[in-house]
Amino acid sequence: MDNVSTLSAKISIEHLTYRYPFAKNRSLEDITLSIDAGQSIGIIGRNGAGKSTLCYTLSGLIPRFFHGKIEGSIKIDGEDVPTMSVEKLIRKVGLVLQNPFSQISGAKMTVYEEVAFGLENLGIEKDEMHERIDTVLKQFDLYKKKDKNPFELSGGQLQRLAIASVLALQPEILILDEPTSQLDPCGTTEVFEAISQLKTLGITVIIVEHKFEKLVEYVDKIALLNDGKLVKYDTPEKIFSMPQIEDYGVGQPIYTALCKRMGLKKPNGYYPVSFNETVTLLSGLKMYE
Amino acid sequence: MKVLSLYVERDTFIHRLEPITKLLYALISIVITFLFPSITVGAVFVASSLSLAISAKVFKRMILLLNVVLIILLSIVIIQGLFYSKNATPVFKLWGLTFYKEGLLYSLLLIVRVVNMIISFGVLILTTRPSDLVDDLVQKGLSPRFGYVLASVLQIIPQMLSTTSTITDAQRSRGLETEGNLLQRFSAFFALLGPLVLNSLVEARERAMAIEIRGFGVEGKRTFVREIPETKADRWIKVALYVVFTVAVVWRIVLWIM
Repeated sequence: MDNVSTLSAKISIEHLTYRYPFAKNRSLEDITLSIDAGQSIGIIGRNGAGKSTLCYTLSGLIPRFFHGKIEGSIKIDGEDVPTMSVEKLIRKVGLVLQNPFSQISGAKMTVYEEVAFGLENLGIEKDEMHERIDTVLKQFDLYKKKDKNPFELSGGQLQRLAIASVLALQPEILILDEPTSQLDPCGTTEVFEAISQLKTLGITVIIVEHKFEKLVEYVDKIALLNDGKLVKYDTPEKIFSMPQIEDYGVGQPIYTALCKRMGLKKPNGYYPVSFNETVTLLSGLKMYE
Repeated sequence: MKVLSLYVERDTFIHRLEPITKLLYALISIVITFLFPSITVGAVFVASSLSLAISAKVFKRMILLLNVVLIILLSIVIIQGLFYSKNATPVFKLWGLTFYKEGLLYSLLLIVRVVNMIISFGVLILTTRPSDLVDDLVQKGLSPRFGYVLASVLQIIPQMLSTTSTITDAQRSRGLETEGNLLQRFSAFFALLGPLVLNSLVEARERAMAIEIRGFGVEGKRTFVREIPETKADRWIKVALYVVFTVAVVWRIVLWIM
């Protein structure tokens, strides 16, 4: 995985509009944003806001898998995503979906072979294949399970396997579409621990997630979507300090809600979003003296 | 999660053979037993398949497999023994029914053919990891898409079965009668179909997306993490099988002309 850290990718989306076939409304409407290499971006919004659609567009599933009308431009490293060759695209972007069970290929009998699935498809040489598989399995703490059947794994392990399988393809950008929505708290922690490793690898990460307390610890910026439109694209503290944030049906981190109720702001005028920020702020109050 | 597979893990010569060698043996032995209307030929192949099963240490499992078709085999004996069109020589009477020699011999021929079919394929299935067989076929030129269908079916059917039981439990917990008379069971079955089919379609779509993202649709050279080697023994066995097959076909044509 060493070469990943030296790679860089930049995504630029301009006036992106998309409508699914037979759909009445547009799922994405005039979205413009850019993501720098190595950044971690969160995408939030209520159900049907267009979060998954944006992920599918970035990963090229739209328009290759889902047809429909796409307008505007979406570029990775200056290259147009919809016209890029599939092979090139796969080496640039990896996607992890919600359901850990349905993203297992189902055709492989062991965890080891499951990770190999994508590498086999791309025709990676055998020696390199073994090296990459060993690396990702160790990285995601699955090496001991390598001879198990994927379907014997727990949800959290399975989702880690899905991330490992995608990461074995060494993408420059990794998109995670609600990777913990079907997992229990243990599985969620496992997956977030795995995600935190991605940052050290220099991979650009885009993550759709409803567990904001976890999300804010990890991302540099957040894109808030509503009805297919980009409402705001900014740092987590600026997003969650918006007075009308509740109107978009997304909720907020419990720490932000607490500080809003108590009227506690950070010196920069924004509400804290993470546990550590809140503790720092509260300990500065010295209430009981 | 169970996998739909009868594979028995052992370390024997037969297990180590290339899956295609075993497949070839199964196909050729079956074709030959059907080419010759001879109980002896059939019996020879049954004996050879059985000895393969014994040397692969899967004899017990093989008996279990044969048990499954026992009733069919018995019915062949009864029906042919009683009603075979060329029946002429009575052999014995049972509860007032006369069994004939011609019918019994014919049923014996059918039985050796069926039994050989089961044992020879049984040797393949019991001694080969299903994914190895599919990988071997894909490496030899089978379309990867077709290979994927074959390999995934074995794991996805058990997964569908577990979804089925989850849906049934959910419906039962809300008061749907899933047991009782035939009509009740039938209506419960229909109630199950909707969610099961929709669920499977959604999962299939997600799985299609997930494998597409991992390059399944990429045309071009594929590599294999588990290369299935063709050993010297495999090559010799294959040559021998081809020879036996050619001889059998030629012999059959000669018999037919004469």
